[in-house]
Amino acid sequence: MTDKKTILIIDDEPDTLTYFSSLLQDHGYATVTAENGEQALVKVRAAKPDLITLDITMPETSGVRCYRELRGNAEWQSIPVIMITGISEDFRTFISTRKQVPPPDGYLSKPVSEEELLKMVRDLIAA
Amino acid sequence: MEVPYQQLFDAMPCYLTVQDRDLRMIKANTRFVNAFGDYQGRYCYQVYKHRPERCEVCPVEQTFRDGISHSSEEKVRSLDGKEVSVIVYTEPVRDENGEIAAVMEMSTDITGIKRLQDQLRESQQRYRTLFEEVPCYISIQDENLNIVDANRLHRRDFGSYLGCKCYQVYKHRTEECYPCCVRQTFRDGQLLVHEEVVTSRHGEAMNVLVHSTPIFDAQGWVKYVMEMSANITPIRELQSQLTSIGLLISSISHGVKGLLNSLNGGIYLVNSGLSKSNPERLKQGWEIVLRNISRIRSMVLDILYYAKDREPIYEEISAHALLDEIFDLMSGKARDFHVELSKEREGDSPVFEGDAQAIRAMLVNLLENCLDACRVDPKKNSHRVVLGCSAHGSQVRFEVTDNGIGMDQETREKAFTLFFSSKGNEGTGLGLFIANKIARAHGGKIQLESQLDVGTRFLVDIPIRREAKRAPSASGAPAAAPSCSGAPEQQEAGGSD
Repeated sequence: MTDKKTILIIDDEPDTLTYFSSLLQDHGYATVTAENGEQALVKVRAAKPDLITLDITMPETSGVRCYRELRGNAEWQSIPVIMITGISEDFRTFISTRKQVPPPDGYLSKPVSEEELLKMVRDLIAA
Repeated sequence: MEVPYQQLFDAMPCYLTVQDRDLRMIKANTRFVNAFGDYQGRYCYQVYKHRPERCEVCPVEQTFRDGISHSSEEKVRSLDGKEVSVIVYTEPVRDENGEIAAVMEMSTDITGIKRLQDQLRESQQRYRTLFEEVPCYISIQDENLNIVDANRLHRRDFGSYLGCKCYQVYKHRTEECYPCCVRQTFRDGQLLVHEEVVTSRHGEAMNVLVHSTPIFDAQGWVKYVMEMSANITPIRELQSQLTSIGLLISSISHGVKGLLNSLNGGIYLVNSGLSKSNPERLKQGWEIVLRNISRIRSMVLDILYYAKDREPIYEEISAHALLDEIFDLMSGKARDFHVELSKEREGDSPVFEGDAQAIRAMLVNLLENCLDACRVDPKKNSHRVVLGCSAHGSQVRFEVTDNGIGMDQETREKAFTLFFSSKGNEGTGLGLFIANKIARAHGGKIQLESQLDVGTRFLVDIPIRREAKRAPSASGAPAAAPSCSGAPEQQEAGGSD
């Protein structure tokens, strides 16, 4: 039980939190959820997750700001982050051109397919 | 040398006649004879004007009476029937006793000049008519930006403010605009074309395409600048509708992706609940599916609201319950902006007829504007937004008040204009336009009170009972005439739908 990998799911949409949690738990991962960026930073400190999925289009403390904080912290910057976006593919180009932060480890577009998410999680945690 | 008087008499470049006291012609020069024919024994009025009796006013008679010269302008008729305009001068001819024996009449043909004068007057009138009646606003400004002339349409919609500054009249501003196209035309003498939003004396904001054209003086200096402004509001509204549809599509596609994601989640839980024989999970999944289907339904209604003039779907709404709902919905955002959000409710909750979804969207819109106005205000230590509700006779009144940056007169007047935003890249210029559209669709109105650096208050009045059938909306709003002092601080959203 103890060697279960923990995944922090950050999304302002409760249904998505339920969806990802159930899916990932069914596949042997432990999950922690956060509804906004502020909560996410508290949870990341407490749970020390092995991977984070982050919705980039949250209304309050934005996903981008949260991502910047994660990457700006020496302790957290090695945690793989999958960025989940409902915006167009152009966003990938946009975030990749930001010089201040390294690009995230993976991208997924909403609606997220189960297989894609599981595969990306598997690959990133194994790496 | 003896002067040949007859020769001089004939050579004069005018019609010369000598008349006795009865106005009988005694003598005439050849020019006269050629033009008017035989004069012998005939009277002046017969020859000149083909009249049977004397003229009512006669300069020759006057000279006989007072002994001095007289002049007048007359129309006479020549031998060939043509009307000739003449300037007449009379001069007394005295005998050796100094008595007036005759009067000499000199008539200079000014028909050509007269014709030119008439043509000039006609042409001036034509230009004036064109200036007055052209279907755009024309004003002429001097180098101090004072309006020195304006056409009829301009006077009708902006008032007669000759001598006032153009920025007061067009924009109700107290300071010159920057950049100023009229100043630019004064500087370089070039025609400039640009677009502006101006406000009529009735407070109606309109998009205008402005041409500023130099008017040169005889030395070639720019003496005045003429501003011709065509009202292109309908075109802009159409364009903005198209743009807003574009924005809408992008926002919808984002929303739809999120909804599909949640539906995927619901379906996953239903399927895995079935395969694991876990009724709890199945129920949870099915609830997600139902919830998201309902969200899709309301999104479709939203789209319809933006896309066309949707008639409100009326239901009974408890104003206080709605207020609570909006308060809960927005308190997170207010916290995030460090704004203290509070609610004020007076008396029992009014229950009114309205489209709950639309009214909610309208109030959220106003509230978001207030929160933004606080967020960008660096001048105060603490910010608050108050959401209020009360019954006002046959109306329910919602109030949203902030102590944010406030608006100047120009922003106040344009606030409800489609596509006007004071938020730079952050605003689309859609929010308040749609809020106003919703209020008007309910037979209500939004008033805006705002003062720069002090804050803003939106007052929304919605009839408690919907009107049986509303008359077509009038665009008239209370006059917000420009003035050199004390600009109005209240604005009612005009009709732009």
